[in-house]
Amino acid sequence: MSVGRVIGTEKTSTQVFRVVLDDDQYLQLDDLVVVRTQVPQAGEIATYGIVTESEAVYEGASYESDTFRIAEHGILPAQKVRSAQVQVTRVDPEVWVSPDPGELVERASGEARDKALYADEMGRPLPVGIGRDGQPLYVDLDFFDGRKGGHMSISGISGVATKTSFALFFLRMLTGRRDIVGESGANMRVLVFNVKGEDLLWLDKPNLLFDDDARTKWEALGVAPTPFPSVGFWAPPRKKSGDVLLADVAGRQEGVQPFAWTPREFIDEGLLRFLFTDAGDSRNQLSFVEERVRSQLQRWAVDVVGRPGAVVIRQPPVGGWRRGAEVKLEPGERIIEDLPSLVESLEEFLDPPDGEEPDRTWSGRVQGGTVSAFMRRLYAAQSRLGELIRAGDSHRIDRATAQVTVVAIQSLHDLAQRFVVGALLQETFAEKEQTGQRLPLSVVVLDELNKYAPREGNSPLKDMLIDIAQRGRSLGVLLVGAQQTASRIAQEVMENAAIRVAGRLDAAEAERSEYGWMLPSTRARARLLKPGTMVVSQPAIPVPLVVNFPFPPWATRREEVSEDVDPFVGL
Amino acid sequence: MLYVESWAPEYGAPIEHDPSLAPSESVIDPTVERTDWRPITPESSVADGVEAVCFVDGVRRVDARLTLDEPEGPIPGLCGSLGVGATHWDRNVPRATFGDIMIERLAVIGSGRVVDVPPVGNLKYEAVSVAGTDPAELVRHFHNRMRKAEAVLSSRLAAEGHLVIADGPINELKPQSVIGYIKTHRVNYLGPEETVAVRDLLAGDRTPMFLMDGHIYARYSWYLKLADIPGGHTWSGVVRCEVPASLGIEQAAIYADIAAVLLPQTAPPLHADPRAPQNLVPIGALERELRRNLGDPGLVYRALRESIGQSTNGAA
Repeated sequence: MSVGRVIGTEKTSTQVFRVVLDDDQYLQLDDLVVVRTQVPQAGEIATYGIVTESEAVYEGASYESDTFRIAEHGILPAQKVRSAQVQVTRVDPEVWVSPDPGELVERASGEARDKALYADEMGRPLPVGIGRDGQPLYVDLDFFDGRKGGHMSISGISGVATKTSFALFFLRMLTGRRDIVGESGANMRVLVFNVKGEDLLWLDKPNLLFDDDARTKWEALGVAPTPFPSVGFWAPPRKKSGDVLLADVAGRQEGVQPFAWTPREFIDEGLLRFLFTDAGDSRNQLSFVEERVRSQLQRWAVDVVGRPGAVVIRQPPVGGWRRGAEVKLEPGERIIEDLPSLVESLEEFLDPPDGEEPDRTWSGRVQGGTVSAFMRRLYAAQSRLGELIRAGDSHRIDRATAQVTVVAIQSLHDLAQRFVVGALLQETFAEKEQTGQRLPLSVVVLDELNKYAPREGNSPLKDMLIDIAQRGRSLGVLLVGAQQTASRIAQEVMENAAIRVAGRLDAAEAERSEYGWMLPSTRARARLLKPGTMVVSQPAIPVPLVVNFPFPPWATRREEVSEDVDPFVGL
Repeated sequence: MLYVESWAPEYGAPIEHDPSLAPSESVIDPTVERTDWRPITPESSVADGVEAVCFVDGVRRVDARLTLDEPEGPIPGLCGSLGVGATHWDRNVPRATFGDIMIERLAVIGSGRVVDVPPVGNLKYEAVSVAGTDPAELVRHFHNRMRKAEAVLSSRLAAEGHLVIADGPINELKPQSVIGYIKTHRVNYLGPEETVAVRDLLAGDRTPMFLMDGHIYARYSWYLKLADIPGGHTWSGVVRCEVPASLGIEQAAIYADIAAVLLPQTAPPLHADPRAPQNLVPIGALERELRRNLGDPGLVYRALRESIGQSTNGAA
C-alpha cells in the first residue's frame, strides 16, 4: 500500500530522497519503504530505504507568525504537508539511479522488507530484535560466528543502555535458534562474567514479571521464552572458609560452585603474568622480572607428597623435574599452598633478608628498584587475590559442564577480576589454539571491556584480547564486549568487531569517530534511546538498524525469581 | 505635512490621483445614512452570524507578445493567462482554503483578426480578437475578461449564500451579498467636512455610507480603517468599500458594519506584505496561489516560442 510520493521540489539521489505523505498515512523513523522506478533501457528498478527523519510544515506560510493566521485565525490558506526523509539501503537490480520524483512510495513488507534489509542475501539471518513494525530484524550470523567476520561490540551508558541484557538476549537467540545457527551451535560454550551486582546469577530461573506481551515478542523471534536451559554458576571462594570452599555470593546459595586455582595450576599455566595487568606495569621493566620468575617457577616447583595441588620450590636435578614428580618436604623448606606462601618463597630469592643482592637467576639483570617494585606488586596481590590460589583438590572452572558458564567476579578487587578474566581467556584461547578448529564455538561475554583492553598502555590481558580479536574469528573464539565508551577501548579490538551495537550514548560520546557507522540522524537519537532499544550495525547492511529486544524470561534479580513450585499448594 | 507610504514603492501608492476621474462624474450624497459625519464603531457581535466569508480576486499575466506579419503591416497580439479564484474563510473552524480556481489562457490579436494558436504542450490558448491595434487595448480586453470572471464567481458565491469580498469595484446592479473592496484611492469622493471623519477613524471604524450615483449604477460606499499605522496620515490604512444600492440602505449598513468588524482581522501586519495593510491576508495568499497556478512564466514563454515557431516555420 502506498503512503505517499517521492518529492519533486528537490533532487532525489541514490543516497537520499524525501516522501510527501498522503493525508491518511504516516511514516515513522526506521520504517522501511520501497519505490519502483521505470528506468529507460534498464526496466523497473526498486529502491529500498529506511526512514531517517519525519517532517511537517505549512506550505504557504512565509512568516513564522503566519502559523497563527493559519491555525488560530484561519485567514491564511495553507496546506499542512507531512514528509519523511529516506536513506537508501538498496537498489535492486543494482542499477544505481535515483528514484523518480512523483513515484509512489510503499511500505516495504513481506518480500520487499526482506530485500530492504538484505535478509534475502543473508546466509543465516538470526533475529536480533523487533523492528517498529513488530517484525523481527536480523543479523547475518556469518558475520558473528567467524565465517565472514566475528565478534560483537556493545556500547552505551551504564544503567540505561541495557548492554548486558542485550548481550544475554543475543546469547539466548544464539542458543535458542539451532535451526539457523546450524552446526555452529553444536557444543557451543559461552563464558559470561558477572561484573556488577548479582544480575546474572538467575539466568536459569523464570522471571515473575514476564508477561504475555513479552511472550508474543519472543514467539515472533522464534524462541520459546524460557530461561537458559543449561547454566553453570561459579564464584570465588569466601574468605577464611576453611577446608570447605564456599562460594562468595550473597543472593543465591544453591547451585553456585566456588572456583580456585592450585599453586600447581597457577605455575603450570603461567598465571603469574595476570597479576601484572595494570596498564602502567608494562612501562617499567616489571615484565622482565615477571617473565623470569614465571619460567623459574615452572622449572623449580615440584609437587609435595600427600599435599595435592601444593608445591615446593627446590633446585631441579639435571634435566629438570620429571612431570608429576613428588618430593617429601625437607626441614626448612616452605610449602606453597596459597599466594602468600608463594610470595614468601619468592622473597628468599628476590628480596633476601640482611640486604643481600637478589638472586640473578631469578631476577635477571634489572635494577634493584625494579625487583622491589615487583615484590611490592606481589605483596599487594596477596590480599587482593584472596582465596583464589589454594592447594587441595582442583576447583578450576569447568566450562564443559554447562552451555553457559557464569563466573561471578563482582565481589573481587579489580586486580583479582583482571586475574580471573585473564586466566580464563587464556585457558579458552589455548584450548582452541591446540585443536585449531573453529567449531565448537566459544563465546566470551565481557562487560567493562575498557578495564581489560584500554586504549592507552599495555598489559598481557590487553595483548590477549587483541589476539582474540584478530585471530579468534578463525579459531572460533568470539568476543561479545561491552563498554560505556567505545573511544576508550583498544582500537584493534573495536576494529575487529563485525557487529556493532549501541544503546543510549552520552551526547559527547556519540559524536566520536568510533560511532561513524551510525547515520547522523541515528547519532542524534542515540542519546534518547530507551532501555531495550539498540542500534545494530553489521557489514551486510549499509545502514544501522534500530531494534527493540523483549523483556527476558529469566530473572535478573532475586525478587524476580518465580519458583515453579507454589509454596501454598495444599494449604 | 509629509508622510512616507507603507506600501513598497514598486506597488505604487494607496492614493493615486487620476485626474480623468473627477469627482463630478458621480453624484455624491453623504447624507443617506447619517447627516452627522463622525466615525462609526460597529459592535463586533454584528459579525457573529457570519459563518463564512469568500474573498474573490484574479491575477493576469502576459505570457508573450505576438506579431502577425501581414503585407499591410504588422498586427500586434498577445498571449496571456489569467486566474480567478476565492479564499473561503470558514470562521467556525476557523480555517481558510482556496477554492473555485479557474485559469484561462487567451491569445488576443488586434485588427479584428482571429488566429489560432497551436496547442502549447497541454495549455490551450483561446483565440480572441479586438478591433484596434493599440497594444493597450489588447491588455484592456484581457483585463476585462478577468474582471468578468471575477464578477461571475462573486455572483455565484453570493447566490450560494456566502458573504463575498470582491477585490475592486463592483459591476453588478442586482442586490447581492458582494462587497467591493477598493485598496487604492484615485478620487476623493468626500468634501472637506466629511474628510475629517476619515482622519478620525480608528482601526475597526467606518465612516457613514454615502451614495454614489450618476455613474453607471448606484451604490453605497464607505471608508473603513483596517489598522492604526504609526506615523500615518488621514488615508493610511483606509480602504473604501461599496455595495449595490439596490440592497437598500438597511441591508447595506449591516454589510458595512460586518466589513468594519471582519476586514481588520484579516489585514496583514506591515512587514508581511508589500501592500500592507490593504492587501488582506486571504487576498494576498490567493494571488500567490493563482500566480502559481498560472505556471512558471519562463517555461510557458519557452513553450510558446517553440510551439508557435514550429508551426510558423512548418507553414513557411
